[in-house]
Amino acid sequence: MRLFKTILSFVLLLTLFNLLNNSQGSIPPLGKFLNPFAGFWQNGESLDQIDQVLDVKGLRDEVQVVWDERHVPHIFANTTYDVYFAQGFLTARHRLWQMEFQTHVAAGRVSEIIGEKALEFDKMQRRRGLLMAAETTIQHMDEDTETHLILQAYANGVNTWIESLTPATLPLEYKLLNYEPEVWSTLKTALLLKFMAWDLTGRNSEMDMSIIQATLGEAFVNAYYPQHTPLTDPVIPSGKPWRFEAMTPDSIPPAFVPQFVQDLRKGEPDEDNGSNNWAVSGEKTASGFPMLANDPHLGLKLPSIWYEVQLTTPDMNVYGVSMPGAPAVIVGFNRDVAWGVTNAASDVLDWFEIEFKDTSYSEYLYSGEWIKSDMRIEEIFIRDGDTVLDSFPITRFGPLVYFGDSNLDNGHPVGLAMRWSAHDPSNEMLAVRNMNLATDRKTFYTAIEDFEAPGQNFVMIARDGDIAIRHNGKYPLRGQDQGKFVRAGRDTIGEWQDWIPYEQLPAISNPWSGFVSSANQNPVGKNYPYYLGWDYDDYERGSRINDRLEKLSKIKFGDMQDLHMDNFNTQAELMLPFLLKQIDVDNLSGDMKTIVSDLSGWNYVSDPQEKAAWVYKQWWLRLEKAIWNDELNIFGEIRKIPTRSVTARLLLKKRNLVYYDDIDTPEQEGRAEIINRAFKQTMVELTEALGPYGEAWELGRARGTDINHLLSVKGLGRTGLFTGGGQGIVNATKKTHGPSWRMLVEMGDHPRAKGIFPGGQSGNPGSPYYDNAVNDWVAGKYYDIHFLDATDIDANSKLSLTRLRNYQ
Amino acid sequence: MINILVPLIIVFLLQLIFYSWWWIILVPLVLGFLEKDSALKASAGTGLGVFLLWFGMAIYQWKSGGEIIVTRIAEVMGAGSGFVLALATGLVGFLVALIAGYAGFSLRKVLIKEYQIS
Repeated sequence: MRLFKTILSFVLLLTLFNLLNNSQGSIPPLGKFLNPFAGFWQNGESLDQIDQVLDVKGLRDEVQVVWDERHVPHIFANTTYDVYFAQGFLTARHRLWQMEFQTHVAAGRVSEIIGEKALEFDKMQRRRGLLMAAETTIQHMDEDTETHLILQAYANGVNTWIESLTPATLPLEYKLLNYEPEVWSTLKTALLLKFMAWDLTGRNSEMDMSIIQATLGEAFVNAYYPQHTPLTDPVIPSGKPWRFEAMTPDSIPPAFVPQFVQDLRKGEPDEDNGSNNWAVSGEKTASGFPMLANDPHLGLKLPSIWYEVQLTTPDMNVYGVSMPGAPAVIVGFNRDVAWGVTNAASDVLDWFEIEFKDTSYSEYLYSGEWIKSDMRIEEIFIRDGDTVLDSFPITRFGPLVYFGDSNLDNGHPVGLAMRWSAHDPSNEMLAVRNMNLATDRKTFYTAIEDFEAPGQNFVMIARDGDIAIRHNGKYPLRGQDQGKFVRAGRDTIGEWQDWIPYEQLPAISNPWSGFVSSANQNPVGKNYPYYLGWDYDDYERGSRINDRLEKLSKIKFGDMQDLHMDNFNTQAELMLPFLLKQIDVDNLSGDMKTIVSDLSGWNYVSDPQEKAAWVYKQWWLRLEKAIWNDELNIFGEIRKIPTRSVTARLLLKKRNLVYYDDIDTPEQEGRAEIINRAFKQTMVELTEALGPYGEAWELGRARGTDINHLLSVKGLGRTGLFTGGGQGIVNATKKTHGPSWRMLVEMGDHPRAKGIFPGGQSGNPGSPYYDNAVNDWVAGKYYDIHFLDATDIDANSKLSLTRLRNYQ
Repeated sequence: MINILVPLIIVFLLQLIFYSWWWIILVPLVLGFLEKDSALKASAGTGLGVFLLWFGMAIYQWKSGGEIIVTRIAEVMGAGSGFVLALATGLVGFLVALIAGYAGFSLRKVLIKEYQIS
């Protein structure tokens, strides 16, 4: 009996050990996690935890770090090496888990952390060539001595922090997921840069467009998917003459019907990744100095996407936001220039259908001959599972991302290869370093020439009064609409063979209007001689910004803030009065009449408390579906629908149109019928979802904004934020997406700046600096930015100072 | 009292230096094995000692700068409050140490009995 009890107690003990020492599904290992000596209990931080002296192994000299009231580090170093070492060290101190996790995502290594459920994601990341591109890029970057020094210094700083960690001080997420950080390498920074390029590469509508063209015809595509959408005010004003001799592509590929249908839009980056930026000359400002505004729109997450920092050496003093995991300042200002970015949205990624000889995929057809493909073998480690080997061919048209599930009539297998400008080696790190050092427009332009991917609209102001905008990046030389469809990757026709010369890219400086701006719309008018793409953001934000800037004078920070937070819905102003006229009010009952009355009285401002803003948005979406979803339901998927401005023009101009008819009903619907039907459907569905018309219908409640934790762990994010704005509105705040950094700069003798991002400096959910700025971001407040120099350290005794002391 | 204080102090010192959570198994197992007479002393004594240590340490961490993290994790785990979370932490420690202490005591009884027979 005693033996039995002993065995039983040991079995129980071992079972408990196993349960508490290992993760159980999404539950962390509770023994480790609850351990008050090393588990989550140790991740608390309080406001006053600032070390006065830190002994840091690997520094070459002493570095001083001033912490301001928002915990932004202002780093003062004597050498280039030390400033980036300190940046790596301090960023890792605040954001280690986030920066490492993001590189795992980029490299397709998530299975190593969460197991087999991430395998398909990892395979896709590798086939898209992110890891391959990062490997090529880091080799290229290492060839440049300065870039190598910066990257290595940063990596050394990160690794010094990692070495200092104990089981107790590990970031919370490592404890939640039960793993440990690995050594940081310069490759990881390259991976992050490629991941940023991927996130901003935009839309993959080629397959949809090929299918639509093959099914509904070329005329349909030309009419409803134009390169230049109605009402668009391009980034570079249409009137600008282009005084250069443009290159022409050798050949334009003929129309092609792909044999292999694959939904390319699944897993593509958020189509709303965009931004606003603008600059106004001193003639339009109250101070007489040029001013700049920028707000990059990205998926909103905690820890925050950006890390604010000031980097100072004897030859550099720059302030702005950095990407955790990459040295230098991506968006910011120095004493002489300030800059901001929006996504260029031009097309830098094309899909090609490749014909292979057999299922070994070792040879493919090119110019009538079978040529060898390079096979790349990816080793994917799976947590608690067997390692998976995934191999795919690399062709002249890029890596084969999708393998066809059936063969061509001739028996040959096919697949889709992806050619992406970011596959090529480039040195964005050097570009950013030189942007940080730029002293005027000329040196800034020289710097951004190296910023090849992602394509960005760089807006800049300089202390000498210049304002400028440049549609920057590396764009393939292609014929009209070449990148709009899937092309046959069978010969040189359609193959990328050259690039648009850098000096011929769209740019403008000091225009007579006194301002420049961009909002992801088409960068150019019809007279620009190159094809850059077609799938840009609609006109609304760009148009509204330009309208406002035209009217404003004696501009102050407050005016710029108001424009950032502008909730005016230009599209509603255009369409709502017309739509309301079509409504058969007599046939409406109860709440519906009240809602029509509220819509009629709405001033088109999508403030958070506005019910009409949400109703209109939902009505419009249903109206779009009513028009397009029957015709564009092809091969079981709703294909890409035309832009809002195209649909709006049709509705305004055409009383009858074949596409208004719902092909699933016997009667013939016209414009008024579908508008009324969409309205009633909206009312029924919103009532079902939100209850009777009331507070719950307010934009800030019905939609609001959620800033989730990167792992979507409930309790670590900030949800239910009462926000206004939306798609096509300058304040482009949406459910989980929006302005990730609002920055204003005035470039006088001493730059003045304001900024905010929706989160905080720390990535630790246990820190008061994790989400301290969220409420102020929702309220549209900005923080004064402290652009310090060395004399401020001694002059201001209130500043918290940490000395990073060299320790060998 | 000594049966409570001894495991409390030993586990505290070991965890302070080596962090690992499984000291709350190993120490009660050994102490249980060393206990000659009472299964209750071996199990409940070590269990209470570890409970007091983990609960007390959790409360200390909570109240000394850990308010934010404790509130968040309480929400993540559906614990309701930091106190409940600290109590749950203590109870996990208690349960593990209780069983380990008893297992150690039982093992001694089996081994010593077998030795006496042989």
